[in-house]
Amino acid sequence: MRQTCLFAALLPILLITIAASPDPKAPATSAQIVAGAEKEGKLVVYSTTDSASAAPLLKDFGAAYPKIALEYNDMNSTEVYNRFVSEAAAGSGSADLLWSSAMDLQIKLANDGYAQEYQTPEAAHVPSWALWKNEAFGTTFEPIAFVYNKRLLKAEEVPQSHADLIKLLKANPDRFKGKVTSYDPERSGIGFLLITQDARTDPAFAETEKTYGKVGVKLYTSTGAMMERISSGEHLIGFNMIGSYAIAKMRKDPALGIAYPKDYMLVMSRVAIIPKAAKHVNAAKVFLDYLLSVRGQEIMGNRAALFSIRPDVQGETTAASLTKQMGSSLKPIPVSPALLVYLDQSKRLEFLKQWQEALGTK
Amino acid sequence: MRHAPQWHRILAVLITGTAVMLPLAIIVYQSLLDAPFFQPSAKLSLSAFRFVLTDGDFHRAFATTAILATGMTAVAVPLGAILAFLLVRTDLPGRNWLEPVVLIPIFLSPVVIAFGYVVAAGPVGFFTLWAKQVVGSAPWNIYTLLSLTLIAGFTHIPYVFLYTSSALRALGADVEEAASIAGAGAARIALTVSLPMVRPAILYSAVLVFFLGFEIFGLALVLGDPGGLLVLSTYLYKLTNRLGVPSYQLMAVVAVIIIAIAFPLVYLQRRLMGIASRFVTVAGKGFAQRPLRLGRLRWIAFGGVLFWLAATVLLPLSGVFLRAFVSAWGEGVRLTEVLTLENFRELSDYPNLVRGITNTLGIAVIGGALAVAWYAIVGLATHRWQSPWAKVMDYLVMVPRGMPGLIAGLAFLWVFLFVKPLSPLRSTLFSVWLAYSVVWLAYGMRLISSALLQIQPELEEAAAIIGAPGARVTRDVTVPLIRFGLLGSWLLVFMIFVREYSTGVYLLGPGTEVIGSLIVSLWGTGAIDIVAALSVVNVLLVAAGLAVALRLGVRLHG
Repeated sequence: MRQTCLFAALLPILLITIAASPDPKAPATSAQIVAGAEKEGKLVVYSTTDSASAAPLLKDFGAAYPKIALEYNDMNSTEVYNRFVSEAAAGSGSADLLWSSAMDLQIKLANDGYAQEYQTPEAAHVPSWALWKNEAFGTTFEPIAFVYNKRLLKAEEVPQSHADLIKLLKANPDRFKGKVTSYDPERSGIGFLLITQDARTDPAFAETEKTYGKVGVKLYTSTGAMMERISSGEHLIGFNMIGSYAIAKMRKDPALGIAYPKDYMLVMSRVAIIPKAAKHVNAAKVFLDYLLSVRGQEIMGNRAALFSIRPDVQGETTAASLTKQMGSSLKPIPVSPALLVYLDQSKRLEFLKQWQEALGTK
Repeated sequence: MRHAPQWHRILAVLITGTAVMLPLAIIVYQSLLDAPFFQPSAKLSLSAFRFVLTDGDFHRAFATTAILATGMTAVAVPLGAILAFLLVRTDLPGRNWLEPVVLIPIFLSPVVIAFGYVVAAGPVGFFTLWAKQVVGSAPWNIYTLLSLTLIAGFTHIPYVFLYTSSALRALGADVEEAASIAGAGAARIALTVSLPMVRPAILYSAVLVFFLGFEIFGLALVLGDPGGLLVLSTYLYKLTNRLGVPSYQLMAVVAVIIIAIAFPLVYLQRRLMGIASRFVTVAGKGFAQRPLRLGRLRWIAFGGVLFWLAATVLLPLSGVFLRAFVSAWGEGVRLTEVLTLENFRELSDYPNLVRGITNTLGIAVIGGALAVAWYAIVGLATHRWQSPWAKVMDYLVMVPRGMPGLIAGLAFLWVFLFVKPLSPLRSTLFSVWLAYSVVWLAYGMRLISSALLQIQPELEEAAAIIGAPGARVTRDVTVPLIRFGLLGSWLLVFMIFVREYSTGVYLLGPGTEVIGSLIVSLWGTGAIDIVAALSVVNVLLVAAGLAVALRLGVRLHG
């Protein structure tokens, strides 16, 4: 009893001590913004990261900021864009923060003047290619890789580069006929983004495309449809697959393998923006800082399989571990207006036309 | 028979008309602009029509969709009508338990059914692998247009069955007995007497199925993608992405074109029904019906029904159930080594699972009841009403189902954003309910009207003659007489609402998740094992609900 009393008496002192010596992993948000956020008491996020993948992150955020009620809406990237743009036009309540894997659409929103500026104290720890004008913030470092069926593809056959893949397909055209899969650039935004990056980076892209066409590549709109079909053996290998989803799935499914291409590996990043019309601005800033802080990034790098972007965070799925493995072959897609090039209608249609011709589908 | 004041009828039509016209008007307006309608820079223009109509992919998608819709109607309508005749009028074995089983394809999400087919009979499905061992190569390919049409036709048989069977029940058995006494066999009676007499119901279901064919999505996405089949609803994906940002004007054009198909269809249906009604006499059910004896045909017919059930329910469900209990499947997998309960354990940890299930059941049970109430009010208002207003309703109800889910969802978001008096309701479940109810108007209204048509006019006329005003006739005669019909309709609307999702996609938020939205977000990241487990739970829940309802005396038909 006495001990409890003593503890109760000491507790305030203890708490003050903790507050006075800041935790180096905690977000460095200014006390003023945190106070403002707690007063707002609410935060609305539209996100393409599904609630199950984001769960460890959201839970920890709730523990760190119990006074901010987080309303987390997960939907696909087109829905995030449609819903936000419509709500903004109607001038009615919308999200306080948009967190989407459609990098180009996020940049478009910022470029169209929908995003507000924020000097995040975490900026110094994030690579500069991931930040644009203090308006768009890359938060993850997700490898774009090959995913293959371990039962049906021998270990020595697994391609280690884009050139390897093409060699493998050319050597066994019958075996791979209809067995290769990827996103449909015509119907999927991320698929389009990745293939245009390939076109820019792969010196032999013309040949690559033609080979995909020859084996009759199967094109889909969702990761689920592709990985399930690779796992079952209906398809053997997929290219331009998002590594974070593949790794989450591999933890349960022994049939799936992932291979990081060594000639070049694209890296995508989930981009966050805070809309100008955000109602709970401070809360949005607190969430953004949290996403970029060591505390948030450690969860992405170890529990959520989202791949942390901070070089100073260690763990299984982190930029640090990928850099150690892959070195300079990593090709992050910069968060910058360069992404807008293909939002120009005529350039986009032209690219798609050329893609269809190379594939022989037109 | 005429009731003096008609204002309440006109009011019911006007309210329903507004609910249908608001999303429709936004879509039509959007199709005539060159940018999103809410952008100040948007100008009137036919450029969207020009773009879509000159797009080779649109032509390809339209042709494929037309073949698909025609083919599935050609499959579903005759088979559904025969199924209804067999279950309602003959001594087919197992009639009682067959009826609820026949309805299963209605409440299953088409994406899940399609995926079940892939697991069971896809290129590396377990039945295909067995067949390969026996005959050496895969004897079928489920990714062709023919397979897609057959599967779509088979899974839409229940709609035809529903409307035809309730019409058959309302039909007096006297003519059939006369034919039987004159020596006609069961098959002849079906084709020359019974089915021609319920032609309006068959025609109605044909139009509905044809229309559902135009907005078919889940089946086409899962079974069409590997073969490169493009239908209108998957073509919309291209329009969303092709210009970089979603091009609402192009999507709206596609919706307008589909809706434009509705008008001649409904006109044709009304014409044919007008001719048909001269022959049809709906007599009372004063005497007990004796089922027609099928004789030798009895077991052949039973075998046919079982085959259809095996192909449409058992085959895809076996795929889904299997997927729920294994960690991997396909070529080179020994199923005994991969059995697991892990998927269910993981499902139980899924955030918001319980809330998703509760919300789905809530929207389906309570929302379903409210929808039936609305449909009943409109049904009663236009019941035996010879007026142009009633004619307008015939066209109106069919139109919303023509909007593909992808567009209907956006249209309802816009209604609740830009129609200011409605905007406070946007984040409430009312908005979701309204969207569901409007989209399924064609399905639900017909359930009500077939219940209403079973009442002999004499009963209402008798009440009117002794001086009861119109409202009183409705309250004391008509409604009590159709109460079992209403209960049955509630059950059927419940089943549709359980799986509906796309229309509400932009209106749902945290706290209002439904099973459909959980399935879609899991599917997106590749957690198909969990999708399968969730679908198993879904099937068991609805089956339990159905069993309880039937036990409690709710009949599928009044």
